[in-house]
Amino acid sequence: MRTYIARRILHGLLVLWLVSFAIFSLVRILPGDAVLMQLDQAASPTPEMLTRARQELGLDRPFLEQYRTWIAGVVRGDLGHSLTSRRPVTQELLKRVSLTSHLAVMSMIIALLIALPIGVLAAVRQDTAGDYVGRLFAILGLSLPDFWLATVAITFLSIWFQWMPPIGFAPIWEDPARNLSQLLIPALIIGARLAAVSMRMTRSSLLEVLRQDYIVTARAKGNRERAVIVRHALKNAFIPVVTIIGQQFSVLLGGTVIVEFIFLQPGVGSLLLDAVLLRDYTLIQGAVLFFAAVIVAMNLLVDLSYSWLDPRIRYR
Amino acid sequence: MKPSLSSLIVVSLFLSISSATAEDKTSTPFAYTAPAFIKELDTRYPAQPPVPPSPPRYGGVLHFPATVRAFDPTVGYRPELALVWDTLTEWEATWYFPEVQRTPVIRKTLATSWEMVNPSTWIFKLRQGVKFHNRPPVNGREMTAEDVKYSYELLKDKAQYSTRAALVKAIHVVDKYTVKFELTLADPKFYLNVVDSLSPVIVPREAVEAPGGLAENPIGTGAFMLKDFVPGEGALLVRNPEYYLKDKDGRALPYVDAVRLIFTKDPATDMALFRTKQLDVMRLSTLDTLYAVIKTVPDLQLYRVPSYGWGDYGVSMAVDKAPFNDLRVRQALSMAINRDIVAEVINRGDAALYGPFPWALAGYTKRADYSYASLGPNYQYNPKKARELLAAAGYPNGFDMDLEWAEFQGWTFNEFVQLVARFFGDVGVRVKLKQLETSTWLNRVAGVQPFADTLAAASPIGAGPSFVDWVYLRYHSAFPRTVNRAGVGDSKLDDLLSTWRQDSGEKRPALQRAIWDHLRANVYRITTIVPPHYRLTQVYVHAGANPYCWFPGYCSYEAKTTWMTDKAPNRKFEKFAQ
Repeated sequence: MRTYIARRILHGLLVLWLVSFAIFSLVRILPGDAVLMQLDQAASPTPEMLTRARQELGLDRPFLEQYRTWIAGVVRGDLGHSLTSRRPVTQELLKRVSLTSHLAVMSMIIALLIALPIGVLAAVRQDTAGDYVGRLFAILGLSLPDFWLATVAITFLSIWFQWMPPIGFAPIWEDPARNLSQLLIPALIIGARLAAVSMRMTRSSLLEVLRQDYIVTARAKGNRERAVIVRHALKNAFIPVVTIIGQQFSVLLGGTVIVEFIFLQPGVGSLLLDAVLLRDYTLIQGAVLFFAAVIVAMNLLVDLSYSWLDPRIRYR
Repeated sequence: MKPSLSSLIVVSLFLSISSATAEDKTSTPFAYTAPAFIKELDTRYPAQPPVPPSPPRYGGVLHFPATVRAFDPTVGYRPELALVWDTLTEWEATWYFPEVQRTPVIRKTLATSWEMVNPSTWIFKLRQGVKFHNRPPVNGREMTAEDVKYSYELLKDKAQYSTRAALVKAIHVVDKYTVKFELTLADPKFYLNVVDSLSPVIVPREAVEAPGGLAENPIGTGAFMLKDFVPGEGALLVRNPEYYLKDKDGRALPYVDAVRLIFTKDPATDMALFRTKQLDVMRLSTLDTLYAVIKTVPDLQLYRVPSYGWGDYGVSMAVDKAPFNDLRVRQALSMAINRDIVAEVINRGDAALYGPFPWALAGYTKRADYSYASLGPNYQYNPKKARELLAAAGYPNGFDMDLEWAEFQGWTFNEFVQLVARFFGDVGVRVKLKQLETSTWLNRVAGVQPFADTLAAASPIGAGPSFVDWVYLRYHSAFPRTVNRAGVGDSKLDDLLSTWRQDSGEKRPALQRAIWDHLRANVYRITTIVPPHYRLTQVYVHAGANPYCWFPGYCSYEAKTTWMTDKAPNRKFEKFAQ
């Protein structure tokens, strides 16, 4: 097991290095640069001024030299300074990661609270009214885009109840009530969509497991139906569900840009989008590297969880 | 929803207007083809709003939307930075509305007087006793001539201040409160080039050189001090208790305790925040959104101000190559556009015609003057004449051209380019629409990259009512494409502009009108319409002495002089997130 984990970590590091080089190269192919994107529309700089501004940011140096400088900093834990705010990228990223993590965890909890009971119920009572209602919910969740739901939510909340989530993010450990009032609605909107996917996966996976011979055997032995489902079926049915949840969680940590914009809760997604629009190379590189690290870590955790869910799975 | 609705409007307008002859349209003065809502706005919210009561009430925290990525004037320019950092002088905001005030008035902030030694040498006297914010490492020390010299030398070569500061060759400290400017080019009106909006702000050397620079040490002489900046979310600025400006009755400014800037990105969010009184001031860009807000917040205050020139819809042409180097082709394309329909599609008819540059700079000071008659035949819808001109230019069967465009927040270019393509198609010019990625489009708008044939874009703008910014730099052939973005090389125009530049002031209005006439005759850029600006304030907000300053935060004086009644929400201001 330890060898497997060590090997996966080494693979992960290789992936991160490849990602770092790819993103460093790709952002420089985009048209425009940070100097141009920061100009006010009324400004009329001469080409010489633009050249000087690029020199100040080090954008005129050879590509490989720029990469070497940046990657050496990354190895030391320094992601560089943002080209727009001039603040350390790590500092900018950490603040947004905190918000994104809050939103991701809350959305995931909501999604699981909805998806697992409904998914199990829909599978156990296949083709009953409850199953149809659950499936209808899943189709609705998949069909309604979250940006639309978010816009409708803030519009009607503000018109009917004169209420909008308060401005300015407060971590849950500082002000739990404020944190909840800020994140509950966006988490519900994101959670509803995630729940739809997880619910469908739970239902279909459980249905498949319930048709397996060992479930028939368990029933034949006289076990109660609840025990058959909870003890024998659910754990095995969860392997694909955990995979999906792991992927969803990685995506959530990557940010939910539109919902962040609409609810004024700028997380990592908004940070990255702004950075791309402003051609803030160091910020883009830092944020993408962070996403890549999250996905590598989540994949490892999901893979490790398989052996806990199904003892037949062993890593060497 | 919106594109399909707009398409329906376009189709129905074409059907209804196609029966009218071109001659009929050319003789009709431009008028709002307004629905009942626009008429209601005209009566309910008069152009000159009521004067705020006196005395003002001190206290309160003002909320308005903004976008600031760095509180550091050495990195980039944002109008909101004027809350923290002052320029030598600033514009009195009423110049935005030429019916009220034709001549721009300058408020003396850090400079109290100026004198022209000769057109290339100017002396400015500084206000005594102005102190930087009382924070380390500057600790409230007095601002002096050395700071002005340092700031101009630091900022004059930065791209964002190029429009104004590049005119300065050298600065000398005469004494503690006097600086002398030597200019690169004689300018008998140089004092108009140190006013706020893109002019260098005055920064203390200690803060710039401290670790983290101004981003970590945002210290200026402004009315507010930055207390909390949360990138992506917003900023909290608190009142500078030692601010030097007083109101007209000698009371200390600013009136509010703090300003909270909220970095919003979505119009629906802005509207929801305004409805729930989490925003006190906001600006809208379309009549549709204005209608949606007024319906749900009936007691709001609206200042509906004709735009000075920002936010117009136009088409840039590659005037240095065929077929656009032929005046007849440019005239034909301009005549092919029915600007009434553009106004209807872009903003339900609530828009004004727009010419080569702001009306006020050409001496037109009444809204009634913003007409087809003042613009002349090149701006009047006349497809028959357009076809004749194309035939005369050697294109009896029209030609093929690309029209590049992009989505850009605040504009409706999608509908605009479709309309233009249809109008051009009607006179035989076959348009291929090419949507660009926004950054590529911005590069082409800024003259950094060339465009193929034509480009849908707003006109190059100026800062403040400066003719230098709006016209001189934009059309003089001495400047590169990043400045003279249309690439105009017209010796007669150069002569007019140079004569204007060297005139001491008496002949400038006539010269500006002559330049206007030259530009509208030569159609170096096709301009169409410009929607008005809608500034909304909550009923408990009095927007100080300058209600015409529609752009929240653009005129720093607005934030300094705004006050809030006791009906305003009670807000804390220890940190941004409260």
